[in-house]
Amino acid sequence: MKHPALKIFSMLFGVFYIAAFYFDLALFRYYPEARQFHWMRTDGIGVVILWYGWIVTAALASAAVAVAVPRPVAERLSPRWVWIVTTLVVIVTLLYERRYFV
Amino acid sequence: MIVVLLLLHGLLAVALLGAITHQALSVLPRAAAKGQRTFLDRFRGVNAPAYATPVVVLFVVTAIGGALLYPQYRIDVRPALEDMQNAAANGVFEIKEHLIAIGLGILPAYWLVWQQPDNAQGAEAASARRALTWLLAFFVWWGFIVGHVLNNIRGMLP
Repeated sequence: MKHPALKIFSMLFGVFYIAAFYFDLALFRYYPEARQFHWMRTDGIGVVILWYGWIVTAALASAAVAVAVPRPVAERLSPRWVWIVTTLVVIVTLLYERRYFV
Repeated sequence: MIVVLLLLHGLLAVALLGAITHQALSVLPRAAAKGQRTFLDRFRGVNAPAYATPVVVLFVVTAIGGALLYPQYRIDVRPALEDMQNAAANGVFEIKEHLIAIGLGILPAYWLVWQQPDNAQGAEAASARRALTWLLAFFVWWGFIVGHVLNNIRGMLP
């Protein structure tokens, strides 16, 4: 199979994304009213967007693992694990976000 | 400018919705054909692998459009929803942003399984292809419906 590391990346992306969201691990923050990016929390310049930072955190973390995993291990990984892990991540996300509906 | 971007985002989302829905229905197991082909038979009778790359491109481009629109939502729409005490609307949007992000993450594997010939890893690859396509279809439908409802929410509520 070509590019087996893509399976590792996709399998882990959702896990890292939800971890970044839950533990507030955005790599950077965007303040739209000030039109400024900041590495750290910056008070007094309006509302903040963390979503971009969560995505970049998850992308970098899952890419690092995907590159580090030896190719034979990645080749042996069944593609089923990608959708199984992602489905579990989605279920956890939906359960957590119930807070908006109770 | 923001209205043009919103319209473009919506049009790209329609194209993505059509492509992923054709592909998702095409991977469902089908009974042996009897008699005339129905509309559903024709709808799902597409060259599904040919949709994979366009779906990836449309998903990424539509997500980028959404990301560019997001600051306006964060500044104008979300505070208005909070003022209206409409937590559910904010909740469905927050779920939308999670699903689109997770969708971006599974695109590489989705693309990979659609590039494999049918005999590669046999049933495992086929089930992964089906499941990843349906996951993406769920994400896209959620994003599309939530986007439209929130865009029109002031006209929908009393």
